[in-house]
Amino acid sequence: MKNKNLIVLLIILFVISIISIVFVYNDYFLYKRPILKISSIKEEVETSEMTNEKYYTQTIYGTIKNGKYKGNKVQLINHATKSGVYDERFHKKSELFVELTNNGKEVVSFSQIKRDKYLVILLVIFLDLILLVAGKKGVKTLISLAINIIISMVAIFTFQEHYKTLNMLILYFGISIMFIITSLFITNGKGKKTLAAVSSAIASMFISFGLAFFVIKIYGKPLPYWTLEYIEAVHQYENFFYVTILLSGLGAIMDISITISSSLNELIVKDPKIKLKNLVKSGREISKDIVGTMTNVMLFTCYTSIIPLALLLIKNNIILGEAISRYGKIELIVVLTSCIAIVLAIPISLFISTFILKPQNSKGGNK
Amino acid sequence: MVLILSSILFLLLVLTGKTRGVKTFGLFYLSIFLIIVYIFMMSLGFNAIIHAVIICVLVTLVTLFGLNGVNVKTKSAFKAVMVVLLFIFLLTFFIGMNANIQGFSAESLENIGGYSFDLNYSMRDVFIGMYLVCIIGTVIDTSISISSALNEVYENNKHLDKHELYESGMNIGKDILATTVNTLYFAVSSGFIGFFMWHYNASFGYILNYKSFVQEIFKLLICIIGSILVIPITSYITSRALVKDNK
Repeated sequence: MKNKNLIVLLIILFVISIISIVFVYNDYFLYKRPILKISSIKEEVETSEMTNEKYYTQTIYGTIKNGKYKGNKVQLINHATKSGVYDERFHKKSELFVELTNNGKEVVSFSQIKRDKYLVILLVIFLDLILLVAGKKGVKTLISLAINIIISMVAIFTFQEHYKTLNMLILYFGISIMFIITSLFITNGKGKKTLAAVSSAIASMFISFGLAFFVIKIYGKPLPYWTLEYIEAVHQYENFFYVTILLSGLGAIMDISITISSSLNELIVKDPKIKLKNLVKSGREISKDIVGTMTNVMLFTCYTSIIPLALLLIKNNIILGEAISRYGKIELIVVLTSCIAIVLAIPISLFISTFILKPQNSKGGNK
Repeated sequence: MVLILSSILFLLLVLTGKTRGVKTFGLFYLSIFLIIVYIFMMSLGFNAIIHAVIICVLVTLVTLFGLNGVNVKTKSAFKAVMVVLLFIFLLTFFIGMNANIQGFSAESLENIGGYSFDLNYSMRDVFIGMYLVCIIGTVIDTSISISSALNEVYENNKHLDKHELYESGMNIGKDILATTVNTLYFAVSSGFIGFFMWHYNASFGYILNYKSFVQEIFKLLICIIGSILVIPITSYITSRALVKDNK
């Protein structure tokens, strides 16, 4: 019986996935802006003798897929380069958002390529995988992720509306505590274990952020904040930098806190008379294994984003070291502070978890 | 600044992990070095995608065998990471070729405005390569966690057969998954703050098709997909390797 239900669920999942992908390939009616589907491209290539760069002039023929002028056949000209640093070379089958004039017969300009279908394909793969691999836990993870995204959006809108009076850093301290509480309670349920993890995570967040803040404030020369992406839009440059530091390591801190508190809890449940000394020793053993690869997670996910910009600079005859120190410095500082947060979270979580889970030496805390 | 923070990190790692801490710190800087070597290779004109794969394999070799020694655990983790890398490669290649997610958007003009864009080097390849290198940290992390936990389970319960081992690998994986998704979300979330403030008045449809938004989401999702996918693959390979090893 259980197997049968599972198969039905799998089929439903599969059907929904297929429907969403087919839908997003045909969702032209959802957009107000006219969409052009390319039917053929004529391309001319010119090679620059100076730089060897290839310049493409594309004459694009296509059909409008939505709105008033649906079915109109139009053409437009696009200039692109082989490098594609800031321009885009289109392919057959690409779809573009365009602006029309002259009763929908001529294209004034084009703004974007239609990318929503690729987002949906990725999203479908992600959702299917998480449900197939983790089942009910996957659903919980998704709920906690969704709530985090909602909190993030609310925070952004709140700040955007009140940026003149509101301190971004203080706002995000509050938001971070909310993140910690919701994520840990949703994925791990109520109980002493989660309580210990939440307290450890909050303490680790404040201590590691305090350390980073102190070091940067005391020793730091003015940092190149302007290299942070989108910095012009965030109103409070320096605070945005500190918020980046605060948030980047937050997930990792939660990871360490819950890992330590649940393994300590496990040990206490199995052997309520376990000695404090042994408990701390096992906790340290467990954490040793986590740290080495966790620091690399932070490094690779955050630091790789400097690659395109660094390459652009080097190709413009700026030497490697200069390019990396100019545009990679902020990223490296963020990665380093997150790693410090990860390492600091271990003793803090060990201390707080033993304190909460094992209040007296005789009674074992569990649940 | 970097030097002071590095020293603090080094000190903390040594205090908590002793020799293993030193190794971790060495690995950290070796990885940075490899990323820089990768950028350097591209600047010399070598193919970005092929070198991304080479860098990924190197990082995996060093992280697994250098940090954890050569044994059943690390060998299985290595195989699993390679399988995932292949899958992610195909996925990234498909989307990178079609979705035009290379290059910079208007927000970056401040940073890149003064430079020549005629690089004679395909940014599409650079971005595909970058995504490959980006996932490797989290995929290795998940993989080694599962294979060492499975090894632990097997050491304590020698009677388990490979199906039961596989099941317990999946169970361990489920717990890791929740925290990994969280870790990755927060690692990239500050980028979204800036993005949404920049495009505060833009419509939903505009944002959904906007290049730098798709780039950020793609990065997040590809990392998560990689670390989910590695769970069953590592469990499968490790359970088989462990049981076969002792028969």
